Amino acid sequence: MRTYEVLFILSPQVTEEEVTALIADFKGVAEKNGATLKNEEAWGRRRLAYPINKSNEGIYHLFVLESEQSLSELDRRMKNVDRVLRHVIVRTDLDQKRADKLSKRNPKKERVRPAAPVVVAPEDAMTAAIDETPQA
Amino acid sequence: MATTMGGPRRGPGGPGGSDRGDRGGPGGQQGGKKKFFYRRKRVCKFCVEKIEYIDFKDVKTLQQFIPERGKILPRRISGTCALHQRKLQNAIKRARIAALLPFTAD
Repeated sequence: MRTYEVLFILSPQVTEEEVTALIADFKGVAEKNGATLKNEEAWGRRRLAYPINKSNEGIYHLFVLESEQSLSELDRRMKNVDRVLRHVIVRTDLDQKRADKLSKRNPKKERVRPAAPVVVAPEDAMTAAIDETPQA
Repeated sequence: MATTMGGPRRGPGGPGGSDRGDRGGPGGQQGGKKKFFYRRKRVCKFCVEKIEYIDFKDVKTLQQFIPERGKILPRRISGTCALHQRKLQNAIKRARIAALLPFTAD
C-alpha cells in the first residue's frame, strides 16, 4: 500500500461552488482508481511565491491518499483541467518508513569515532613490504 | 615536557579533530599564537531536533534554509549533515514547484 500526498492549486478566479465541485470530482477520480482518502486539508487562498499564469494567489488543497497503484489517472486529469494552476503528487510511505526506522535507531547508538586503527594499518603494510623485498 | 603536554591537550579541545564544522575558519586553528577565532560548533538542526522526515509543505522549517536570494543554504554554512541536506534539498525543490517557496527572489 502506498501513501500519496496530492497538493494542488486552483486558480483564484474559480468560484466557491466550482471549487467544491472540482474537489469532489478529483476525489471521485481517485476513488474510482482504487485509492482511499485518508486525510484532506483545505488551505484556502494563499499567496503564491511567484506568479503562475499571471495570478498571484491560488486556492490550495491537499489530499492524502492510499493506493495500491500509481495515481496516473488523477495526474492526467489534473493536467488537463486548466483551473488547476499546479499540482504536486508525492509518494511518502517509503520516506516515512525510513524516517521511522532512523528515529528508532538514533537514541541507542551514539556514534563514537575510532581514532587510532586507521594509522596502524598502512605501517604494517609498509613493514611487510620491506620484509618481503630482501627475500626476493 | 612541553611537547608531551601539547599532545594530549590538543586532542579533546582542538578544533580540527572530530567536527568538520570548523573547517574553513580563517586560520587560527593550529597556530595558537595567531588570532584565535572562536567558531561555534554548528550542528545539524534536524539531527538535534530528531526530525527525520522533512515535509515539503512545512514552509516555516524550510524557510530557515532559504536566504534572501531564495537559494538553498549550503551545508558548509548551515551545518546540516549530508543526509538531512539531501532530504532538505528535495523538500525545498518540491516546495518550489508548489509555489510555496520562490525559485528566485530579488
